[in-house]
Parts: sequence; structure tokens; C-alpha cells
Amino acid sequence: MPRAAELRGAEIVLQCLRAEGVELMFGYPGGAIMPLYDALDGSGIRHVLTRHEQGAVFAAEGYARVTGEVGVAIATSGPGATNLVTGIADAKMDSVPLVCITGQVRSALIGTDAFQETDVFGVTLSLTKWSRLVRTLDEIPEVIAEGFYWARSGRPGPVVIDIPTDMLKAKKEFSGPVKFTPHARPAEAQADGGFTDTIVAMLQQASKPVVLVGAGAKLSGAIPELRQLLDTLNVPAFATVHGLGAIAPETPYYLGMVGMHGTRAANMALHETDLLLVLGARLDDRVTGDPTRFAPYAKIVHFEIDPAQLDRVRPCDLAVIGNLADTIPAFQAELRKIPTSRKTGETRGTQLPDFSAWRSVACGDERAEFDPRGLAQPTIRFLDELFSRLPKDNVILADVGQHQMWAAQRFRSASPRGFITSGGLGAMGFALPAAVGVQLAKPETCVLCVSGDGGFQMNIQELATVHRLGLPIKLVIIDNKYLGMVRQWQQLFYERNYAETDLSDNPDFVEIAKAYKIHARRLNDEAMREFPVSSETADLIDSFLSSPEPELLVFDCAPEANVFPMVPSGAALSEMLLEDEPTH
Amino acid sequence: MQAFQIRYRNTQGTLMRILNAASRRGLDIPTVHAEAAENGHQVTLALEVNAKQIGQLYREWYSIADVVRVRSGAGHGEAWSAAHPPAGVTLDASLDDGRSAARA
Repeated sequence: MPRAAELRGAEIVLQCLRAEGVELMFGYPGGAIMPLYDALDGSGIRHVLTRHEQGAVFAAEGYARVTGEVGVAIATSGPGATNLVTGIADAKMDSVPLVCITGQVRSALIGTDAFQETDVFGVTLSLTKWSRLVRTLDEIPEVIAEGFYWARSGRPGPVVIDIPTDMLKAKKEFSGPVKFTPHARPAEAQADGGFTDTIVAMLQQASKPVVLVGAGAKLSGAIPELRQLLDTLNVPAFATVHGLGAIAPETPYYLGMVGMHGTRAANMALHETDLLLVLGARLDDRVTGDPTRFAPYAKIVHFEIDPAQLDRVRPCDLAVIGNLADTIPAFQAELRKIPTSRKTGETRGTQLPDFSAWRSVACGDERAEFDPRGLAQPTIRFLDELFSRLPKDNVILADVGQHQMWAAQRFRSASPRGFITSGGLGAMGFALPAAVGVQLAKPETCVLCVSGDGGFQMNIQELATVHRLGLPIKLVIIDNKYLGMVRQWQQLFYERNYAETDLSDNPDFVEIAKAYKIHARRLNDEAMREFPVSSETADLIDSFLSSPEPELLVFDCAPEANVFPMVPSGAALSEMLLEDEPTH
Repeated sequence: MQAFQIRYRNTQGTLMRILNAASRRGLDIPTVHAEAAENGHQVTLALEVNAKQIGQLYREWYSIADVVRVRSGAGHGEAWSAAHPPAGVTLDASLDDGRSAARA
């Protein structure tokens, strides 16, 4: 029998990562993780150097969000590890499969407050789905296999594996990666019946059923099954920000995005429904508004893979635990047994308001109604022009703030992974590095990254990564020279006290991009006041989108443009603000 | 005051995750007793909680990788009455015959 090869711990780590299918990882070197970098050459894994660990973890998230595969980020101990924390929290909130590998000080120094020592295991305990501090060289294969298992399984999430540097340097005989077999857990519910007839009965009794679709739809991979179910049900349906793209936007029952900046049609339908089917959504406060007045007349059926998400904000009447890939077909099979006329709206009457007018608002035909001062119209039209001119194969990333909500409102794609943003955590600075991960995962895809002037500066250093790799990302800054969303709240709820939100001393982003050797140009919102836009403007946008190089386009936006509709924090979804209102 | 007994595999951080589920909700933890038990470890907690929190805690504890079983000292029926026990959990028939494993 051949003797197992003797390898360094770092080489064992890399072989185990390859065995998990890792081909690409993002990171930033430093003292404690140096042995891993030393072993990279020949490992078969491509490493992408970002210019900050937060850039690395967001890039890994972008890769994971667009592919559904596990993203991997590498950092050293101490500040390297703590710089990952925001990305780890982001992955937890948005169910992103992520494995972070951090170097740690030598085993003998752990607990001594050594140079660059941080208890990253402790720091991230409440943010991770699973984590380990490696204590022996022998356990590395098992730890990595188990970490990847938990990152992928059930509701995906972040994992941290902290490895002391001496473990990475030491050698041992290595007979190969291992497979993790989970311990026996309490029996999983089977999606093979029991609930389906109950839901069908509830549906038949309901007069105003609606469907809310969340991220679980794309995570499950059950988009075809979902769309088939929605076609069968033929009732109003809407999506959370992470559910965008799951429902084909042209379907007549689709009412757009729901929640704080959702469409009036979706929010009113949600308020008036008597039966709400939630498919793979957490029902967080941005979706529910005041939980005591959320869907006040409705029974709620909650399809969810993670039982811990049930009843957090509003209790449901029936929980269906399982992967939508299993539960939707089971539900659909039961629906097929009943006559068509009983599963459509024909027998339920027409008690729901006529959504047709509201839907046209949601789709933009009457959007000026929400913006009587006309301040937001050029930006909305700019996004419409951008999105409509994108090639079919595209992914849109949005950072966090007003532009994020405008982009979500204007998103009109049927691509379930076509809109990527930091939704749960709302981490400014997410989009630019995440776009790096997306573009590397999808080199042939047009990647459009929309940021605000505030968020763009939070990870602006990743322009260097974009340039170094020659990634043809299309970068847009919606520049209103404010922290716009905060300013909007200050205007509406804090008597226009614009405390520390003025960014009028922003740097010249065009010049900054040029310093990073990225071609950049500027477009003033006056160009969008013409309708249709001039051929000059259209040509500028087309050449921007079709360039084979990275490009930056700065769009000067009206400083006091606001996002509407808006459900004020703590209000019910039916209490949307549709335009600027005097402060009280 | 409600007593909870949580059986778990004593892997790194599992006890801390169990405690964190309570502390992140701002709950005081006046009593903690952890010990080795048959085929693993168990921790007993006393918490001042309302019915909604009981349900949330049950489900969050069960979502921790190495938690094996959660019980409440004040009677399981009461504990589960916070609606929707995790459908992925099989309840002992002796605990509460009114709620099957797949209430869903």
C-alpha cells in the first residue's frame, strides 16, 4: 500500500478546498496566513487579491450569490479577520454560502494578546452558522468538509475556519480529503403531504389570496416550479428585494416589489389579503412594516426552509418546513386534483381592488404621480434607459441607499439571480467588490454595478482590483452629493435637519477613476429631462455598456430627489407616503 | 421563570451559541448549569420569557448544528404553544399529542 504523502497544513487546506470544488477565492495576505499563500502556487485554485479584506469577502459573496456555489475569502489574523466581519454578517442575513479562512497566531500564543491576535471565533460566533478554531493538524480535513457542509446545507450561511499559523506550517501524512457525514438530527419533516390539502382548503375558502416570493425561491433552484405554481394559482403575486426576478415581470398577476419602497399595488394587496402564501421569505421589518398591522386580515401560510425564521415578526397560521424544491411540487400536485375553476379567481369573486391601475403605476407608466416636484424623474429615467439597453445576459448590482431602491423598483428582468444587493444588512460599499466576484464568475455577462456617492467611497480601493484584472464591469455612481437615503429620512422625519449627510465636497470621481486607469465620464440629469433622450445621450449610454473595458459613468442626480412610495418606519404597509409631505 | 434543558454535542462554541440565542434577545440568564450527560452534554437554563420568545428560542436552538434536543421544564405543551414548533423536529408522543412533528 503506497504511503500517504507528507504535506504542510497549508497544502492540506488547499487540497481540501479543491475537493470541495473551490476554483476561485478572494483574499489579502498577512503574517499568520502567509503559509497558505506560500502554498498557493500549483494548488489549482485561483486567488484574487483585493485591496481590503472587506473587498475580499464581498467579492466572495458576489461570486456565491450569482453562482449558488460557496464563496471563499481568506484573511490573516487580527485586523485581517475583523475586516471580514461585515461581510460575514451580510452573508448571514442574506443566506449566502460563504467560507472564510483566517490565519491565527501560533497556537502557543493564543490567549496572550499577541501581535495581530483577535478571537475571531468569538467575534463571529453570533454571525456564523458554524465555526471552528483548528487545534490539531489532524482535524483540518474534517473541519473543512464540515464547514462546507454547513455553509451549503439548509438555509445557506457563513462559516469561519480559524487556523493557527503553526498548523499551516507543520507537516503530516495526508491520505486525502474526507467527506462529512452529519450527525443524526431530529427527523426532518417530509414534504409529501399533510399540509397540501390544508392549504388547498384555505385557498378555496379565501376570497383575496396573494403570494409573496422571497430569496428562498432562487436559493432552492425551484424557479420553474414556482412559475408553474403561480400560473396555476393566478392570484396577485409580488416579491421581496431578494425575490426579484423569480416572477417573470410580464405576467399579469405580478405586482412588483413589496415593502418599505414597494409598489402601491403590492403593498395594498398585502394589506387587504385574507390569505397570504409566503414562499421563502423571512418577513423582516422592511417587508412587514408595523408587524401588528401586517396583513391584518390574513391567514398566513409560511413556506420556509429554516424553522428559526418562523414567527419572528408575525406568527403564521401554518408553517411548511422544507426546501421549496420539495414543497412547491407537493403543493402543485394537490392543486392539480381540483377543478380549474376552483383554483382560479373565478369562484372567489372580485373582492380585491382592481389592480390594473396600480400595476401600471408600478410599471412606470404613471410614475410622475409619486414625484410631483420631478426631482427623481431623471434618475429613474436614466436607470430605465440603462436597464433597457443592457444585453440580455446581464446582472445588476446595487449598493445601499436611494439608488438601490430606485434600481429595485425599475428592475424588469426574469433572471432570478439577476439583481444582487445587500438587502438584510444593508452594507454600504457592498456592490463594487461584489461586482468583481460576479464578473469573475460570469466573464461573458454584462455586469452593471450601481452605487451611490457615499457607498462607492466605502470600497473605492477595489477599482484597483477591477483594473488589475481588466474586468469589464460597468460602474455607475448616482451622485446626489448626499447620503441620500439618510437625508430623505431627515427631510421627512427630522425637520430637514441634514446632520452630517452633506457630501458636497466629494472628490471628482471621474478623475479618481482615471487615476486607477479606468475610463470615466459624467452625465448630467438634464440629459434625462428630454423624452425620448437625445441620440447623443443614447449613444453615450450604449457605448458605455458595450465597452470591453471597465467603465465608470457618474450621473449627477438632484440632491433632494426622494424614493417613493415609502412606508415610514413603524407604519403599516397601507400607510405609504407617495410624495414629499410637510414635516411635523 | 421558565426552565429549559438543551442536549447538545459539546463541540466548540455550541454552548456559547445556545446562550447567545438568549442574550441577543436581551434576556437575563440567572441560572446556567452545564454538564456531561448521556451521549453528550446538556445545559439547563432558567429564563424569564414570554410565549413568543419560547417559540423563537426553541427554533433557534434547534437550528444550531450540534443541538440534539430541547425541552422545557414547565411542560412541553406550554412551550410549544407558542405556535409552530419546528416541523423538522419529532416530538415524543408522550410530550404533546396535539402537535405532530409536521404540524406544517
